[in-house]
Parts: sequence; structure tokens; C-alpha cells
Amino acid sequence: MDLVTVKGLSKRYGGIVALSEATFSARAGEVHALLGENGAGKSTFIQILSGAVQHDGGSIMVDGQEYRPANPDAAQARGIAAVFQELSLIPDLSVEQNIWFRHEPRTLLRTVNRGEMRRKTLALLEKYNFPALRPDQELRRLTLAERQIVEIAKGLAKDPRILILDEATSALPAREAEWLLKLTRQLAAEGRLVIFISHRMAEVRAIADRLTIFRNGSTVAAHEADAVSDNEIVTQMIGRRLDRLYPERVPTATDRIALGVKGFSSGSRLSGVDFALREGEVLGVGGLQGHGQRELFQSLFGATRASGTIELWGNQVSISNPRQALTGKDGIALVPEDRRGQGLLLTKSVRENLTLSVIKRFTENGLLSRQKEAALVKEMVDFLRIKAGTPEQLAGTLSGGNQQKVIFGKMLLTQARVLLLYDPTRGVDVGTKREIFQLMRDLAAKGYAILFHSSDMPELVHVADRVLVMRNGRIAATLEGDHISEEEILRAAMLETKAA
Amino acid sequence: MEMAQRPAETKLTKPAIDWRGRLLDRAPFLVACLMLALIIGIYGGLQSGVFSLDELNLDTAAAMTLMLAATGQTIVLVRGGIDLSIGGMISLGTVIAATRFTDNPSTTALWALVILALGFLIGALNGLLISLLKLQPFLVTLATWSILNGVAMIILPTDGGSVPGWWVGFASAQLIGLTSPVWMLLALLLFWWWFRATRVGIAIQATGSNEKSAFLSGVSIARVNLVTYGLSGLFAAGAALFLVTQTGTGSPTIGKDYILPSVAAAVIGGVSLFGGRGHLAGTLIGAFVLTLIGNLVFVLHVSSYWQPVASGVILLLSVLASSVAEKAARNRVQ
Ligand SMILES: Nc1ncnc2c1ncn2[C@@H]1O[C@H](COP(=O)(O)OP(=O)(O)OP(=O)(O)O)[C@@H](O)[C@H]1O
Ligand SMILES: [Mg+2]
Repeated sequence: MDLVTVKGLSKRYGGIVALSEATFSARAGEVHALLGENGAGKSTFIQILSGAVQHDGGSIMVDGQEYRPANPDAAQARGIAAVFQELSLIPDLSVEQNIWFRHEPRTLLRTVNRGEMRRKTLALLEKYNFPALRPDQELRRLTLAERQIVEIAKGLAKDPRILILDEATSALPAREAEWLLKLTRQLAAEGRLVIFISHRMAEVRAIADRLTIFRNGSTVAAHEADAVSDNEIVTQMIGRRLDRLYPERVPTATDRIALGVKGFSSGSRLSGVDFALREGEVLGVGGLQGHGQRELFQSLFGATRASGTIELWGNQVSISNPRQALTGKDGIALVPEDRRGQGLLLTKSVRENLTLSVIKRFTENGLLSRQKEAALVKEMVDFLRIKAGTPEQLAGTLSGGNQQKVIFGKMLLTQARVLLLYDPTRGVDVGTKREIFQLMRDLAAKGYAILFHSSDMPELVHVADRVLVMRNGRIAATLEGDHISEEEILRAAMLETKAA
Repeated sequence: MEMAQRPAETKLTKPAIDWRGRLLDRAPFLVACLMLALIIGIYGGLQSGVFSLDELNLDTAAAMTLMLAATGQTIVLVRGGIDLSIGGMISLGTVIAATRFTDNPSTTALWALVILALGFLIGALNGLLISLLKLQPFLVTLATWSILNGVAMIILPTDGGSVPGWWVGFASAQLIGLTSPVWMLLALLLFWWWFRATRVGIAIQATGSNEKSAFLSGVSIARVNLVTYGLSGLFAAGAALFLVTQTGTGSPTIGKDYILPSVAAAVIGGVSLFGGRGHLAGTLIGAFVLTLIGNLVFVLHVSSYWQPVASGVILLLSVLASSVAEKAARNRVQ
């Protein structure tokens, strides 16, 4: 019998329809993938299931009983826990306090029993073979990937019958993502239902027993996973056929060096990085996570301090803050990793997010030209197919993937010609991914220089002209032409450096 | 069944403790301690007998009203809010005490309880209004401050009334050489040590740290507000009851002198105005700093108007210290 049955589920936000008449059913002991474009309603669906928002219409049955949680507590009481896309962690609490938040083991004095909490934390981390975490570390000191892992631990700490993972792999590096996939199978084997949301087809393929496809807030299909092809799934997701994910790689690099970096060092994370990014080139940056990729991108953009020299279009420049990086016509722009923390103003509209940093471009004689602004915003929204009710919708209420598109658009509107793309397709649906890759190639052909990091290794392999592999804060290898493959990247990332 | 394997590159060995990070986190508190030491040092150099139990007893009594008010304020600040209404509550408390307390201990005790209960209820009302109307705490408590002030004026238009001598005597009662204010100070610290480790205490801190996350984790924000502002009102009422042991009378306007100093004491002690971070120990040190500055100005024989000037400078210095530390810490994590 089905553990969860959903019928006619609807949810509106003002004029925006997030879900309309969605159906869904899943059994205990299975991994059930939920697929759909950005803004299809996946997160809204799981927010309703986990009590974070309430639906307007339709019914949910859990275990054959009516289910309508008024808040996350009520959902947890019925054994439903969610690992949220936007994470539900508290920056000022420690890792273990976050994991057990509101369910802390207590002493006779009603205070937190720290010893017991530590013991339970270690037992939990051990039981599911979690990657290394320091239980006493404050959360705000952790990287995004580490936070994602804490969020997973927090979900599991409730020993739920239904665990919902909303794009939980998207913030994880390859190895941790692989661990999570195995963990997901293990949880299903324990008899739990895991509802799994991801934009990575390979992952869904690897673990899902069944899948449900959403489009525009409605369910378009449900399948047994092995009875349907990738192509059919993608076609149902986006409502049209998609021939190939990766655009053709036509080399457009010139000899002109756009960004020359020498002896770049920052603390213990970056030690002597040298490379040259050419005009018209897409240069990939790979390697195991935590080997200096983030620091490299952050410090090239001036967000973290570093030493060494940078030459921008042949001139030596010093970049000590993002303002300097963006200055001038041919500066440096960054798509950051932590979009909610660094990239977006969540309480500002889509329009404002796109144009705030380039407001000068719509000013004539000191006056703002609203028309000009509106035209550019419309162009960008259409171009990236940002799914927003109007350009005035608050960025914080967009779906995760659409938020990422806004950041991308914001960067494109600056007149920078050196683009630092740190995981630009994280949380982005296949159709849009394809567009972003095409866009990267088009920009390169126009003479932009692109430094590109992805947590999804095949993207590096298929999109970049060359790949720098980082290890211990250095460039361990530079792969070109036929040498660019997942195996080569991994080898260079893990083995002692040998001449490439 | 396939077991999830730990990612090969990661090890379960403990990384080294980040001492510098920890130090930076505590920088504002350490700066406050340093300031206090400095002030005591100067004060001790100018005046004899500063390093004695008597002095401790005296200064703690002088600081205790502020300490009580600032304890409530600290809870509110950690929640990410602010409570201006404590000014009105303190005034109201003193006028009720000065007009209702009698020589009969049981009548007086009853009215003291009434004042405390009133403090909690009015505070809880603040919390309720903030949640229900989704209004800024600043605005809501500004309004209740004005209302409470008015009520205090209606009860007792000018300073006056009195409290019984035995109530005044409470502040100088001694146990093993320490007066009751010193014991209260210890009790406050004990309370905090307990409170911040309870689920409610953690939920308040978490809500101040990130309200959306707290909500998603199942915290009832309305309940958190109720308890937070309720406690703040309760401590303000306690401050009023203590204050009358020092003044002996009621005053419908005296409370306003504690509103901003209660925030200043907390900020000097390293409590963040943005919520989520801070400890009572810091606040109490801040209250001592603000009180001793008054003593210092007195023994320096300069105009007493230098006291607010010095307090302001100290406030600026500590805000500066915490922002420098914060920046350094942020540069390290990225
Ligand atoms: N609070 C809100 N206010 C207004 N609109 C909202 C709100 N929350 C979601 N929406 C809208 O509802 C639609 C569905 O969003 P949802 O987050 O469920 O998409 P999703 O399938 O999870 O997409 P993604 O893959 O990008 O995460 C979107 O168009 C979004 O803009
Ligand atoms: Mg989503």
C-alpha cells in the first residue's frame, strides 16, 4: 500500500500558481525521485509535506489517514523530516546543537545534556558513515557543503519514516554526493521512503525506484524508473525535446591573455597559483573539493585577501575588494557559491537585483531612465527565461534555480569581460543548463574570458577548453585536448603531481 | 544491502581547535574585561580602599538596578529585538511600590508579587503584539513605554511616597561578608548559566540568529516572543523593586534613565544587536563599567557631565572592537 497519496494539491502565492492539482503517490522502502524544471513546484510540494507552508486545496493521505500539518513540528510528529533546499540551520549554534535542535537530550535540570548529545551525535555520524564533522564547531564557520551535510544529519536525527531531500547533492562535491546516494539507498533498504529531488539525471538514474514529473505545478507523469528513458523524462519535464546537453566545443581562444595570475597565495588555502586565462577561452578549474578552488575564485574577485600578481588585459592591477574587480569596462565578475548569502538581495525585487550594481547604465544626465531599465530587465528575464510573475517579484520567493538565473543575469549586465563562474549550474534544470553552456560558448566567441568551476565533473569535461586541476592550494596539472576526462582529473587531483 | 561508505578522502580525526577563531569570537567580551580592569586600576590609584569587600558591596548595589534591567534587555537582544518599554515598567514599579507598600510584610510581599506579575504580563503583551501585528519591536515597545509612563504619572504625578525601612534595609543585608546585591549578582549568573542551556533559551538564541531557519526547525516564533519579552518585563519589575531600596521613594520618570544604558551595558559586554550572540557575563561587566565611570568622574573632581561623555566614548570603543574582530573572523572563514 502507498505510504503517501496526494490528490489535487494546489497552492497559490497571490497571482502566482505554484501548484495546481498535483498528484503523487509513493511507498515505504523506495527512493522516489521528484523531477521538474526550475519553478515547477517541487520545493513548494515538499514544503507543504513538511509543514512549512499550508496548501489551499487538495488532500494528502499518510498511512491512509488525512494529513494536514500546521507547522514543521506536526510533520515531524508524523515521522516526516525534510532537508531543505535553503537549509534550516542556525548560524550561531554548533554543529551538534543544530543536529539536535529542539530535541536536545536533557538533564534533570532541564538543561542540555552535553555529554549525551555528543555521544548521540557521534553514534549518528558513525552509523551512517558521515564525512568528517567537528560536533563542537560553530555552524557559521562551515562551508556550504559542510552545512548541507549537517542539514542531512539533522533530518536523520529525527529517525523519520519519510525523508525528503531537496537538491541535497547540489551543494556537495563529487565524493560526498556519491556518499549521499549510497546513504539514500541504505535508508530505503531500512524501510523508509526517501523523496529525492535533483536536477542531475545520472543521480536519479543511479538510485530512484520510481519517479514523478512535475511541470508548471501539475503532475505530468509517474513512472517505474526502469520503464522510461532519459529522453522521455526530459521531454516530459520541459515539454519539448532536447537533443544534446553540451554545445559543440569550437575553440575561440586567442593569444591575448585576459587574466594572468602569478604566485597567488592566501593563508594556508592557496599557495602559489600560476595560470593564464586567454581571451575567448573557457578555462575549467577542477579537483577534489576544499583544495583551494573557492579561495581562488573569492580572492580573484577581491572578496578574500591574497598575495601575488594579477594582470588584467596586460596591465598589472591590485584587487582588494569586489568594487575594484568590477571597475571599468573589462573587469572581473563573479557568480558566487552561496547565492542566498552573497549573491542575492532576497528582499529586493528581481528587477532591483539585476540592475542595482549597474544603475549607472540607465542614468542620463543624472536621471534614471525607467524605460531603459525596464527594457534591459525584460531582455535579461526573457533571455534566461527567469520564471517570475513580474520583474517586481521578490528574489527570495523565486524557486532555487530561478534565483541562480538572476545572479547570472546580474553578472551579465555588468560590463565585466572576465567571468568567474563558480558552479553556475548548481540547482539549474537541464533545459537551462544547456542554455547556460551555450551562453558560455557564445560569450567566449565574443571575446569574454571565462574561469569555470563545477561540482559536476562531466560539465568540466564537456565544456572547458582546458582544465586546471587543483590540489593542496596549487595547480597540480593542466589538462588539454584529449587529456580532459574524468579519470585524468581524478588522477591529477589525488596522486602526487607528475609532469602532465 | 549496500552500506554508505565514508568518502575516502575524509578522515574522522579531529582537526586542530581553531584557537585564534575562538579568541576573535570572544574579543568584545575580553575588551570589556580589559576596560573594567583599567577603570578599576585608575580608580584604585586615585582612591584608597578600592580593593576591598566594602567597595565590592557598594558598587554592586549601585549597579544592581541597571544589571537587572540589562539582564532582561540581554535576553531581548539575543532574540534579535529591543525593549524600550522597560523604562515605563521601572517607573510604574516604583510608584506602585511607593504608594502600596506598608509596614505589614504580607501586604508588601503581595504587592511585590503583583508588580512582578504585572512586569511579566506587560512584557508578554509586547511579545504578543510583535508577533500578531508583525510590527517592529522598537515601535511596539516605544508605544508601551509611553503608555506605562502615563499610567505611572496618573498614579503618582511627582516623585514621592515611600517604602518601609525594612525593605530599604534589604540592600545592605549581609551573609558571610557579602551584601544581598552581590548574592543577586551571583544568582543572575547562575540563572543565565541555566537558562541559556534550556530548550527555551536555545530557541530564543536560535530565533535571534536566523528566524526563518528556527521556524523551519519547528520553533513557534510567537511563543519565543512571548517568553522573551515577558522575561524582559519581569526583570524590569525586579529592577524597580530593587531601585526603591536605593531611593526609598517612587518616581514616575526615573525609568527612562535605564533604557539606553541597559542596551549600552549589553553592547559593551559583547552582545550583538543583530541577535544570536552574547552572554550575560559580558552585560554585567558592561554595567559595572558604566557604573564605575560615574565613580571615576566623581573622584577626578570634574563636572559630572563628563560621565555621559565617557560612557559614549567607551560604547564607541567597544563597538569598534567587536566590528574589527568580526571582520577579522569573516576574513578567516572565506
Ligand atoms: N513565497 C512565495 N511567493 C511567491 N511565489 C512563490 C513563493 N514561493 C514559491 N513561489 C513560486 O512558486 C513557483 C514554484 O516554486 P518552487 O520553489 O516550488 O519550484 P521548484 O520546482 O522547487 O524549482 P527549483 O528546481 O528551481 O528549485 C515558482 O514560480 C516560485 O516563484
Ligand atoms: Mg526548489
